[in-house]
Amino acid sequence: MSRVESKAGYFMVMPYFVYFAAFVAYPLFFSFILIFHRWNIVTPMEFIGLKNFVRLFRDELFFKAIINTLIFLSIHIPLQIVIALFFANLLNKQIKFRAFFRALYFLPVVVSGVVITILWQQIYAYETGLINQMLLGLGFKKIPWLVSPEIAMPSIAVMATWKNVGFYIVLFLAGLQSIPNELYEVAEIDGASNFQKFFRITLPLLNPTVVLVVVLSTIGGFSLFIEPYILTGGGPLDSTLSAMLYIYNQAFYFNHMGYAATLGFFFAMVILIIVIIQRKFIEREVY
Amino acid sequence: MRRNALTYITLVIGAIFFAYPFLWMFFASLKPETQISELWFMSENLSFKNYSTVFAKIPIVRAFFNSLFVSTAITFSVIIFGSIVGYALSRLNFKGRDLILFLILFTMMIPFQITLIPTYVLIVKLGFVDSYAGLIFPAMMNSLAILIFRQFFLTIPQSLIESARIDGCNNLQILFKIIIPLSKPAVATVGILTFTSSWNEVLWPLIVVRSEKFMTMPQLVTIFVVGGQAGSQLGVQLASATLLALPIIVAYVFFQRYFIESLARTGLKE
Amino acid sequence: MKSFLFLFILFFVFGCSNDQKNAFNQANKKLTYWCAPNPEEIELAKILVDKWNRLHPEIQVEVQALPAGQSSEEVLLAAIAGGTTPDVCSNIWPGAIAEYIKAGGLVALDEFEDFDSLISARKIPVDLLESFRSKDGHFYQLPWKTNPVMLLYNVKIFEKAGIERAPRTYSEFFEACEKIKELGIFPGYTDIRPIWWQRFFDFYPFYIASSGGRTFFKGDDLDIDYEIAVKVFDFFRTCFKMKYFPITNFQVDPFLSEKIAMRFTGPWTITYLEGNKPSGFEYDFAPIPVPDDYQGKVYTYGDPKNIAIFSTTRYKREAWEFVKFLVSEYSDSLLLEICNQLPIRGDLLENKKFADYFNRNLKMKIFAEQAPFTRGVDEVVEMKEVFDAISREFEACAVYGAKSPDEAVKNLIKRTKVIIEWSK
Repeated sequence: MSRVESKAGYFMVMPYFVYFAAFVAYPLFFSFILIFHRWNIVTPMEFIGLKNFVRLFRDELFFKAIINTLIFLSIHIPLQIVIALFFANLLNKQIKFRAFFRALYFLPVVVSGVVITILWQQIYAYETGLINQMLLGLGFKKIPWLVSPEIAMPSIAVMATWKNVGFYIVLFLAGLQSIPNELYEVAEIDGASNFQKFFRITLPLLNPTVVLVVVLSTIGGFSLFIEPYILTGGGPLDSTLSAMLYIYNQAFYFNHMGYAATLGFFFAMVILIIVIIQRKFIEREVY
Repeated sequence: MRRNALTYITLVIGAIFFAYPFLWMFFASLKPETQISELWFMSENLSFKNYSTVFAKIPIVRAFFNSLFVSTAITFSVIIFGSIVGYALSRLNFKGRDLILFLILFTMMIPFQITLIPTYVLIVKLGFVDSYAGLIFPAMMNSLAILIFRQFFLTIPQSLIESARIDGCNNLQILFKIIIPLSKPAVATVGILTFTSSWNEVLWPLIVVRSEKFMTMPQLVTIFVVGGQAGSQLGVQLASATLLALPIIVAYVFFQRYFIESLARTGLKE
Repeated sequence: MKSFLFLFILFFVFGCSNDQKNAFNQANKKLTYWCAPNPEEIELAKILVDKWNRLHPEIQVEVQALPAGQSSEEVLLAAIAGGTTPDVCSNIWPGAIAEYIKAGGLVALDEFEDFDSLISARKIPVDLLESFRSKDGHFYQLPWKTNPVMLLYNVKIFEKAGIERAPRTYSEFFEACEKIKELGIFPGYTDIRPIWWQRFFDFYPFYIASSGGRTFFKGDDLDIDYEIAVKVFDFFRTCFKMKYFPITNFQVDPFLSEKIAMRFTGPWTITYLEGNKPSGFEYDFAPIPVPDDYQGKVYTYGDPKNIAIFSTTRYKREAWEFVKFLVSEYSDSLLLEICNQLPIRGDLLENKKFADYFNRNLKMKIFAEQAPFTRGVDEVVEMKEVFDAISREFEACAVYGAKSPDEAVKNLIKRTKVIIEWSK
């Protein structure tokens, strides 16, 4: 590290400082102003004090949206971890074509969420969807994947898992490959079963990766927007209304800028709290 | 041997699970409307009719170039500024260096939900609605990219930098002539990450762009499918989705190793 | 690398610049006119503007289609905010007018001396006209065109099911549904997604029809007919419960593929049906069914679009002359020919100028008869959110049967009051 004070340093970080001021500091600052006003962009802002918050706390739809998102996460995250671990384990063995399988599983991760959603709209369609056709062919009844208020959100969670699990397979695979073989060898000598090897060696050592998977999935889950936007418009019976979709509607359909900013602020706080709680509970010291 | 067979079978089933939907979508877009729901790919009446409808109804080629332009611009900007700031933070000494680092980490923690609306208002005030500026500027710099570069640059031996300085190079020259060429993995990582995520970004364009002239490809397809311009013609919708998926899939086929490695590397950063 | 950078900059500059308007720049007075972004209306606008420009070399008009892709209302609102409004726009939805007026964006048209004579020449029925008057007593929009929502049905299926004529009351409707069900076809269909404008094609027209032309508000106050609203919710609830309407979203057009026999739609469907129908397919239209005890003319929702002049205009008088031209008999007949949409006039079927068109387009006659008996939406700023609330209640009560019609209407009134409160 150079010990000389470098003026050049100031110049080099100046662009970032400008960017920060314009796109981070100003929006944050402005959002603190917006949440105390009512505004539809066209007419002047109206100061309304805490009314936005009063409205928020009475807004059943918004809390339903948050709960919907939590339902989504409670299905998506465990499903993701189990499937990703499963396939990562398989890929960790001595097999040929590992790169091919890995690449294929990873494909949905890079393809646009829009494509995935349009595709799954056909897979999930009630009358003519792919899954229901297969079910009918096997003699079962059709399932209302996106039309039933109980099943709709879980269906979206499954779709999101399909899209993202490839990424987590790659992460777990990297994590698995960094576990030294000697640990397993020693355990075998001690007579440990596969079961014990997995739960006492593999999982604990994978903890950092698991934490990462949980945090990333959570943050991704809270941004859930384009899937309900395209698939269901928030229905049926508001069961797939995500918080972001609700905020988007408030801001850009109904032009309630102040209220939408308030919702965004509150929602951001919820996210921060949940992420902190998650880290506390899931993070373990790795020896 | 038997255990291995089971492994392979499971992996192949998985592969089908991930590949079938895409293949189905492609073939369905070629089929006549009444045959679309069929599970199997082949049919006697395959044609590209739906694709011509897509090209006729929406400016998808323009949207493709919009996306290409915007994503390339953003990627370049993020790489250039990310490396400059990363260099300054890793190799130069100045007051406030730690403050900037703190600001960067702080930015990463802020959920975008809180800044979305005010940033939109800012864009309106600057007159950047319905313009490339509105799409590019808010994404010009990226904290994660700065951190990745900084991390990587820390590993470059000081001696290399010293000898370049002795040769009379200034800081920017050191960065671009010496350090960057040595940092190919970091550049690739940042480049691919930035390009892919900006290409697939759809919420921000939906907010900032209203005119078809400036829409990005995912945005245009979304509006096409949701807005009813495709009528109830399913084949046309699927054709537009296939067109949207095509560029990234093509890039992926060629650069697949870099894609996977860069995304994996960011995971390991944490 | 360098050449790439150069191309890059070129593209950037090119992409950001505006089009040239040469001839336009040479005229003395210039007006910009925005039309709706669909191909037919664009064609109509071009023809009308061409004719005007030839007749009025000193007042040149330039036409632009509203940007396609997202709602015109948002675009216009953003234009008002940014001061980039046109002089004249012909895609004004009455539901959004309240916001434009609040922002001071529109010119009061009744201040022109010949406004009244223009209106009476078009023979617009008084009650329809009054629905376009704004709260401060002025007219900020000139009634232009309407697309009445009516009942569309498959003639062949009706014959096969032994239905003699289109159902006129709720009971007749249910009887017809029973007969069609026996053929193994879904009698009717409406899109069940809780999107606010979907209700323009089920709940709202039925409410207007069953209440003899009432809308939801009187001025700023909520004025829903409780009984009627309950009846309408109950009607649709029965439809879904008895499986007359399927609880699904069809991906492929169900009417043309004869999966359903009826739906509720407007005259714009005719162009689509004619262009895509299989051979031998026959269809027709009828008024919206009303409750059995209903007497009088059947009204419906007309999805009107009107013309407005923006207050940023520098040539008020000239803009008004252009607007008058847009609603002349000549322009109206082209609106019929090219767009298959109805001008808001009371003399559609009597006026000789349109006789030829209606003789060639018999199906449009039904719509022309319906046209004077339509309603739009109220001029309330929060209209979209109100319809969003209606959609939620509709979904819960009618589609999923989770609420009784009474509960749905009570909840609707409650939520609407909250929505209005919040906007005060």
